[in-house]
Amino acid sequence: MLCLRNITYEDKNRRIIENVNMTFREGITYSILGPNGAGKSTLAHIIMGVKKPTEGKVLLDERDITELSITERAKLGITLLWQEPARYEGITVEEYLTLGGKLNVSESELRRVFEIVGLPYELYCHRFVDKSLSGGERKRIELASVLLLKPKYAILDEPDSGLDITASDLIDRTLKYLGKIGTTVILITHYEKIAKKTEFSYFVCGGKVVRKGFSEEVVEYYKRACGKCPFLEGMSDDH
Amino acid sequence: MIIKMDRVKEYEALVNIYEKEGLDISLFGDRIAAIIISGDKIVGLNNVEGVEIVGEEIENGVKASVKIRDNVELPFPIHLCTGFLKNEGYQRVIFDITVGKNSKVKFLSHCIFPYAKDFTHDAYARITIGEGSAVIYEDEHVHGEGVKMRSKTEVKVGKKGRYTGKFSLTKYRAKELKVEMSVELDDYAVTELVSKIKAVKDDSVEVKEVAYLNGRSSRANLKTTVIAFDNARANVVNEAYGLGEYAKGHVECHEIVKGNADVQTVPLLRVRNDKAELTHEASIGRINEAQLMQLMAKGLTEDEAAGLIIRGLLRGF
Ligand SMILES: Nc1ncnc2c1ncn2[C@@H]1O[C@H](COP(=O)(O)OP(=O)(O)OP(=O)(O)O)[C@@H](O)[C@H]1O
Ligand SMILES: [Mg+2]
Repeated sequence: MLCLRNITYEDKNRRIIENVNMTFREGITYSILGPNGAGKSTLAHIIMGVKKPTEGKVLLDERDITELSITERAKLGITLLWQEPARYEGITVEEYLTLGGKLNVSESELRRVFEIVGLPYELYCHRFVDKSLSGGERKRIELASVLLLKPKYAILDEPDSGLDITASDLIDRTLKYLGKIGTTVILITHYEKIAKKTEFSYFVCGGKVVRKGFSEEVVEYYKRACGKCPFLEGMSDDH
Repeated sequence: MIIKMDRVKEYEALVNIYEKEGLDISLFGDRIAAIIISGDKIVGLNNVEGVEIVGEEIENGVKASVKIRDNVELPFPIHLCTGFLKNEGYQRVIFDITVGKNSKVKFLSHCIFPYAKDFTHDAYARITIGEGSAVIYEDEHVHGEGVKMRSKTEVKVGKKGRYTGKFSLTKYRAKELKVEMSVELDDYAVTELVSKIKAVKDDSVEVKEVAYLNGRSSRANLKTTVIAFDNARANVVNEAYGLGEYAKGHVECHEIVKGNADVQTVPLLRVRNDKAELTHEASIGRINEAQLMQLMAKGLTEDEAAGLIIRGLLRGF
């Protein structure tokens, strides 16, 4: 179980996350919904250890991991698909996916994840993970990389953004695969249809959790709420 | 290979290091022209058809002349092995290389100082390349922690000749390194100089590459990549002088910085002929935090992540 306990995060005296509590249990799929600037990526970074919260704790199976480094958290099975995956000069897709040879993966495994992310393996394995990849291609390759890690917790920050019409099927295949290998998914998205593929959702706005519950219900609420932004003050009073 | 009897042990010690370091031991074979130096002694010497190497032991080192006749095209490289297998001391080597006309040769110069703790190495090479000849000169290094190295190479490339110089020190500590290469180019002569150096801890690195584009339509491409970590210091100077008509030169320096390393790059272009064309490109890049963090989120340590990023960068440049 992965928990955020009373997390507050401030950057240059600006409060970006305010007293957020979230719980992610094994075997359940989660989504975090919210408008631009709500604080979704910031929360992902706090879980991964990229940002240290100003207040509050991150717990993994009751262990306080707030002070652990990114690498240490990754070694405990947490990983993050960044909203904007970085690009690297001179590193091939194959090298990237095996982390420079550190990760042992069979060719059949590689082919399997390429199928899931919807890219032909032969066409991409020798390409470079640099600017020559299109946005969607880069995203798909990043997803492949996350799948190969077989993490316990995978935070996917907008895995669907920038993808074409096949995104929905891609997310289906991803969730199915991760479910099968026992990964708990935390999916950050703007899209109700994608959020509905998960079981439980948090709706974040203005750095606060404004609604949580079964995805169907939270999505309905999100649909009604959006378009009325900024609406936080009025709404958070209700909850 | 002529190996002096009383020096077999030193010869074998060098071969063993090649084996251990994954270097090519076939370079000690009979078909390879070679001079094998250990300390101030010549421990092996081999000449093949078209190549004449003459060595002389001098104070603290060795002086050798290498002559390549006209129209020689060697299927194998010429092996220049400079070893120093003690912890401390001083060594100097002087190579005088003359390549005749229309020949094609490659030199593999190995500096093997694996146990060096407090060692100074001075190397001076003068290379004269005849008309229409192509020479590749590649450096490889096995350095212990404490090598102070000063290397100076002066090259003259004749009409339509070509010189490619590659210097690489990325797997071992640079400690205190000064590399100077200068090339003078005659009509239609071409040169490419590529150096890749990694400096860590308190290493200090100085690189100077100079091209004199004297000849008509001569070409030069100077490329330096320095990776500087921790508190390392690096200073790179690339100079190109456009003197000949239609001469074209390009200098390029990329520095990759992490930690408190202090680096500087100075391109100097000077055109003395209005039909010459010189360009330069320089970058000092920090290893991007996002790249590092994203790789760390996959379980790599910061060092492992940086290693992977740099491996790619070095390949790219
Ligand atoms: N370094 C920073 N300095 C100032 N403000 C920042 C900084 N980083 C993030 N913010 C702000 O924090 C807020 C939350 O950003 P975050 O990236 O978490 O939003 P998000 O919910 O992921 O949005 P999106 O849907 O656009 O990806 C934004 O208003 C953003 O401008
Ligand atoms: Mg975001």
